[in-house]
Amino acid sequence: MPELAFAELGFKRRVKVDLFPTIWCPGCGIGTIMIQLAMVLDEMGLDETNTIIVTGIGCTGRMGSYLQHESVYTLHGRTLPVAEAIRAVRPEMHVVVVSGDGDTASIGGNHLIHAIRRNAPLTVLCNNNEIYGLTGGQTGPTTPMGTKTLSSPAGNPNTPINLQGLVRSSPHALYAKTTVYHQLHMRNVIREAIEHPGFAFVDITSQCIENNGRRIGFASANEMLTFYRKTYRRAPKDAAQLAQFEIGVLYPDGHGSNGSAAAAPAEATPTPEAEAPAVKARPVVDDEEKARRRAESQKRLALMQQLDPEVKLRVARGELTLGDALREAGIDPDAAG
Amino acid sequence: MQRAAAPRRSPPRPMRKLTQGNEAVFRGAVAAGASYYAGYPISPSTEILNVASGWAAQHPEFRFLQAEDEIASANAIIGASLAGAKSFTATSGPGFSLMQEAVGYAQKVGVPCVFVNVQRVGPATGMPTMPGQGDIMQVRYGSTGDYSPLAFYPNGVEEAFRVTVQAFNAAEESLSPVVVLSDTFVAHLNEVVDLEEAASGVEIAPRTLVPLGQHEIGKPRFFAGVLMYEHGPNAGEPATADADEYVRQYYAAKHRHAEVAKRYALYEHGWNVDAKVLIVCYGIVSRVASPLAPDYALFRPIRIHPLLADELAAIADRYDQIVCIEANDGQYADMVELTLRREVKRVPLLGGRISLEAVRDGLGRVLGGGPSEPPIPPAPSEAVERSPLGIG
Repeated sequence: MPELAFAELGFKRRVKVDLFPTIWCPGCGIGTIMIQLAMVLDEMGLDETNTIIVTGIGCTGRMGSYLQHESVYTLHGRTLPVAEAIRAVRPEMHVVVVSGDGDTASIGGNHLIHAIRRNAPLTVLCNNNEIYGLTGGQTGPTTPMGTKTLSSPAGNPNTPINLQGLVRSSPHALYAKTTVYHQLHMRNVIREAIEHPGFAFVDITSQCIENNGRRIGFASANEMLTFYRKTYRRAPKDAAQLAQFEIGVLYPDGHGSNGSAAAAPAEATPTPEAEAPAVKARPVVDDEEKARRRAESQKRLALMQQLDPEVKLRVARGELTLGDALREAGIDPDAAG
Repeated sequence: MQRAAAPRRSPPRPMRKLTQGNEAVFRGAVAAGASYYAGYPISPSTEILNVASGWAAQHPEFRFLQAEDEIASANAIIGASLAGAKSFTATSGPGFSLMQEAVGYAQKVGVPCVFVNVQRVGPATGMPTMPGQGDIMQVRYGSTGDYSPLAFYPNGVEEAFRVTVQAFNAAEESLSPVVVLSDTFVAHLNEVVDLEEAASGVEIAPRTLVPLGQHEIGKPRFFAGVLMYEHGPNAGEPATADADEYVRQYYAAKHRHAEVAKRYALYEHGWNVDAKVLIVCYGIVSRVASPLAPDYALFRPIRIHPLLADELAAIADRYDQIVCIEANDGQYADMVELTLRREVKRVPLLGGRISLEAVRDGLGRVLGGGPSEPPIPPAPSEAVERSPLGIG
């Protein structure tokens, strides 16, 4: 993960580190999601003037208070109507919804269905820990069948909700699946989700060791992460559907990049533009552009590594531009390498 | 002698048009600067949604959302208001029940917005859509916790327009959700009014809440339904176990709302002011009861909440008896009795039967020393005519 060193410094601009430690339990996965989100926001130049965070109730809902952004901590389950209205009134803003699986898919399930139907231009990050953590560990909408929880001591009798199927019921929505272990992947899909002009849903499998993991046989958060490492696999590039333990991105119909229209499910006929006037074509990020971005990022990293740690921190905090820092240190940015 | 023809100056032409109560509410909202509407169809408020969608089609700056339910509508207008738009929704009693949690959120966070509740007969689906006034207490106490709402209730088309403008202004000034009450009859009343003229004179309160993203850079806000410290060294941290902070914030809001309410002490004291009996009624009941004018005095509150305690006390002193006539079982009468600490007789007009006959019957009964409860008619032994309204 060559970009990590630089990105790690940048995220601190977007997080209220002075409020740390957070209220989340040791071993919780939400902090990882927050840091990855902060990194993406920082990389994309999204800041408190152009990005609003909307969160729901539950452990995940607390994320808004730690981000250096205007943030709305809504009622339980009501993130999407609030976010959709904000975006309607202020179309120039990015609105990122961060919410748990219970908030998104159970109490807020009706709003989820209809936000998908209306192709609300939102980025939804769903911290999917398969449990109601804040209330002590009750069965949630994504709890796997058979899992023993406080509210299903004999094992959850029901199958979990099919978030992928729900999101993919719209030909315009982007669905991504990732885990807290696969941090670089998570960062990339969060970025793709924010870039997507319509409804984008990132389903992030994450560990709740305190109120779920330890009751189902995991000794530590690390064990849960190891489990994710060993079980989850990247889906093939042109996958039309993600299997249970696959991570990847499913693009809307007619999308030009990997997972293109050709890879769309056969039964889903490509939607002509005329039938979907509300959706703008997604800006195509081809492999060449991705390579260019990667090269740029690696060049920045190489330049940063030549700086003193203190200067590096000042650059990361935004007190100093990289160009100025290099000039001060007498380094020619074009001679790096 | 011939005179040069003087240029003909026609007098300003009044734009008097037959206008419906619901439409007047919408026009009032627009005149007040509203630019966001979210709603879910429910009779008898639906015309507001219809008019809003048509307006939005012609005015791209006006945003319209037909939401999936009333919960979404209520939360959407909160989001829109936070984002910088004056926003409102319209519903009826059952929908307003669904919105209650959001009303509480808007009270807690201090979000200016307007809820229009066109009442019908409840509880539950009730009698769609006969007129009722059963939501007086729902407006006051419907959400969880303590709060001090402002609510207005017009009794005609032009007043619906003016009161809606005032509701938006009061919402901005008090930083709170304000309720405009209506009922099936006021909503569907058609009167000839000149809203152009009414609109020309209105004063419009500016936006008070700084829109999302236009805050002081470096100090992003966190709009939360939970108690957070607002000022001081702990600002931005949860105050969920600090009673002192709760008390500070609660009374700050209560005093702010009371201060704003003073500016909107709207009521009508009329009919035969020298009569011995004061009739208290509001909304459509005051129109239906108007033939009683020669024999009774009228107190008609337009601001329903908070109760017009001082005004009512001063007026009530002049009368031997007070009778509250309302299309519910004494909801307003309870407040009046509690405030004045004297007996208030009640005439409940239940089941949508808001008629002069029912008013006269009830008045005769309670003024003759009888109970407020009307004689209960026996169940019919033969089939009655089917309701023309079906089950709505």
